[in-house]
Amino acid sequence: MEAYDARSLCVIAEELSEEDEADDEEAFVMVQDSHTHTPDAFCSHCRVLTHSGAAAHTRHTLLALGPAAQQIKEELSHSSGKLSQKIVEMENFASNLEEIFITVEENFGRQEQNLEQHYNEVLQTLSQSHETRAAALGEQKSRALERLYGELLCCGQTLDASKQLIERAQGVHRQRDQRAFLQAVMSIMKRVEQFSSKEVDLKLGMSLDFDVPTTDLSDVRQMMDSINVLPAPSAPVMNPQICNSATDTSLHVCWSLFSDDTVEFYELYWRLISDDCTMEPLQDVSQLKVKETHCTVSDLLPNAQYELWVTATNTTGISPASERAVYMTVPSPPVIRPRQCVSSLDAALIRWDSGNTNPVESYTLEFRESDTDCSNTATESVVAIPSCECLVQLQPWKHYIISVRAVNTGGPSDLSEPVDISTAGTCFHLLEDTAHPSLSLSADGLTMFYLDEDLPLSHMTFSDSTFARCVAVLGDLVPIRGQYYWEIEVDEDTEYRVGVAYEDTQRNSYLGGNKTSWCMRHIVTPSRHKYEFLHNGWTPDVRITVQPRLIGVFLDYGGGILSFWNAALRQHLHTFSCRFLHRVQPCFALDNPGALRLHTGLPAPPMI
Amino acid sequence: MALTQVSSNKCSDGYQKVFEHDSSELKCKMKFAIYLPPKAESSKCPVFYWLSGLTCTEQNFITKAGSQQAASEHGIIIVAPDTSPRGCNIEGEEESWDFGTGAGFYVNATQEPWKTNYRMYSYVTEELPRLINSNFPADPEKMSISGHSMGGHGALICALKNPGKYKAVSAFAPICNPIQCAWGQKAFSGYLGSDKSTWELYDATVLAESYSGPELDILIDQGRDDQFLSSSQLLPDNLIAACSKKKIPVVFRLQQGYDHSYFFIFSFINDHIKHHAKYLNA
Repeated sequence: MEAYDARSLCVIAEELSEEDEADDEEAFVMVQDSHTHTPDAFCSHCRVLTHSGAAAHTRHTLLALGPAAQQIKEELSHSSGKLSQKIVEMENFASNLEEIFITVEENFGRQEQNLEQHYNEVLQTLSQSHETRAAALGEQKSRALERLYGELLCCGQTLDASKQLIERAQGVHRQRDQRAFLQAVMSIMKRVEQFSSKEVDLKLGMSLDFDVPTTDLSDVRQMMDSINVLPAPSAPVMNPQICNSATDTSLHVCWSLFSDDTVEFYELYWRLISDDCTMEPLQDVSQLKVKETHCTVSDLLPNAQYELWVTATNTTGISPASERAVYMTVPSPPVIRPRQCVSSLDAALIRWDSGNTNPVESYTLEFRESDTDCSNTATESVVAIPSCECLVQLQPWKHYIISVRAVNTGGPSDLSEPVDISTAGTCFHLLEDTAHPSLSLSADGLTMFYLDEDLPLSHMTFSDSTFARCVAVLGDLVPIRGQYYWEIEVDEDTEYRVGVAYEDTQRNSYLGGNKTSWCMRHIVTPSRHKYEFLHNGWTPDVRITVQPRLIGVFLDYGGGILSFWNAALRQHLHTFSCRFLHRVQPCFALDNPGALRLHTGLPAPPMI
Repeated sequence: MALTQVSSNKCSDGYQKVFEHDSSELKCKMKFAIYLPPKAESSKCPVFYWLSGLTCTEQNFITKAGSQQAASEHGIIIVAPDTSPRGCNIEGEEESWDFGTGAGFYVNATQEPWKTNYRMYSYVTEELPRLINSNFPADPEKMSISGHSMGGHGALICALKNPGKYKAVSAFAPICNPIQCAWGQKAFSGYLGSDKSTWELYDATVLAESYSGPELDILIDQGRDDQFLSSSQLLPDNLIAACSKKKIPVVFRLQQGYDHSYFFIFSFINDHIKHHAKYLNA
């Protein structure tokens, strides 16, 4: 901003009024001219109204009134514009001046207060010192006077006694009776001689010097000195952590001054708070010198609590440390497990790993449609998810991009890697941790192979969830009692079992051989293909003439229906009617070496 | 062709009616039963033709099978004709229960004295549909056929001989291979004569072996305790083998404990109507 002063403002004002005057003059001149010739042109050189034959302007460029007026109007508005801008700048400067005025007033006021306070203190100290000394002096005086008085009394007594003796001696001396005189005189003479031989101590018992104590005004001097010296600052105040100001490796720390102290710089200290109480309790303290009242601390661990405090320093000294505040870095983003996510026409169940070794407060799931114009679709969020999975309602026939954040008191983490969900039909993968060890799954989790090789028993690791006899594996569905459809592609000679089973179906038995599973089974005999629809070990007797190569499985919880279809022909094969008491999961097994391929994300065909 | 209503009863929100007419193919008065579902009051409906078995009339199916409920729900018209011409006074037609009256075998007879009247094949595949389409709110493009025992045989051969005409086909305990069983041999020799090549024109197993046309989807239910199964009248294995070879899709269900009676039909008629509805209502 240019440094204007009042003088330059006046100049601007003069310029403007000059122009006005000039115009007025011109107008005046114009009136005069009109008596002789009607002005119909404008000389751009002399910048006057004239008429088109004027001799004075023969070599000058003459403009017609219209264009001339236009041009001059433009020039005028340009100048006015410049002036308006200058006005704005002046106004800004004026308001800035006002602020400075107020601030300076405040600061001086503060200084005045400080000064008064200081001097009051000094005066107090002085008057105290005066009292003390006056008291001491008074005491001295009374002691001295007491002693003198004592001596005086002593003297008086001695004088009185001596005078009395002299009077008695004189009385005796006047005695005419010589015998009586000689009788009394000896004792009195003795006494007179005694008295007169005594050494009269005529010296003063005490010195007459004043005992002048040295005035110790050093503390007053110190106080006078410090009047012009700033006080050391008082302890700052740590601000509580601001929402969403932290990242997973940094914290934005803020604090404020307790009072109107002058501070040259701050020192910020921080230390990681460890959960493990058995460890060496104190982690290293880090520190940083900072000029502002805020600072970003980096290179921190995610999802961790840090203890922070700050001191303020000026030329006088360092303030006491502030109260310790606890800040938390946000967590690392979670990691979605795409193989564990399942979806249907109108819902999806998303599962993830926390991504943090320590627990977090909650998770937030965000999803948006990815089909069309990204700028048009809003992102929806599900907040306060307590565990590492979330069921979210979606619209059918759309593509979604879904991500998850972990949240703690520091704020939310970054978005996890997203997962694509399509609500065109039932989507799931084969669950590797339920697979019999002889099964291997493809990389995309949709094909299972039972290889024709004998794995030694030692290579087989079983767990509570893997199938141990039936070479089987489970899938998963959205936990809603709705309708689901999927297809399985098989070869003509594959001996398989496909269907559904309760999630706690016995891992030691064969699919369809118990009450907790229902399946279609294909057996190849030397003479023909045999099909069974097994539940609890029982099957109806059904002959099928065309071998299904693509089997459609339809599950309807509400209708209590599990039906099997030759999906290529849309031919219905069999329907189980059963009330499913719990959730069922798709199940697949191979009775002999072979392969099955799962097709998901398909809408149920219309015939179903 | 004038239709006379013989009876009408409201049933499952629709109407079970019986009509009588003069048949041009059979040259006599014929009755048929027709069930009109509630939907028929406002729009055209597909038609399910039911062919009954030996000794039946148009009454057995409509009183014993319990089909009206499912027909009402799926909006399907069910037409159940009689099993043979009646009152033609042909000599010998009352002699047996498995030949002549009540045993038309759904063929067009070529032998005397049967050939004038015993033209059940044409009646079922041509005259009756024309009649139904012009007198009732029937969708002429949506027809399907089913039946029991002899009627099962009739349904299968009508579908196999008229590729594309019937949108769906199913059968209960059908006579699958008549030229190999006693019933068929008796009937065909009477109606068609001794030339066995003419018999093959009306044998479902033979027709399946040479079928070409739009893909079929055949549902067959067979009671396991059916006496006629065990007495080799029905021979479903032959049909299954032929269909397996020709890749004609069939689902054949052997139903434990069930016999040949209408109780068996009653038990599974809903499955069949649903099977037909899948194609008729598509």
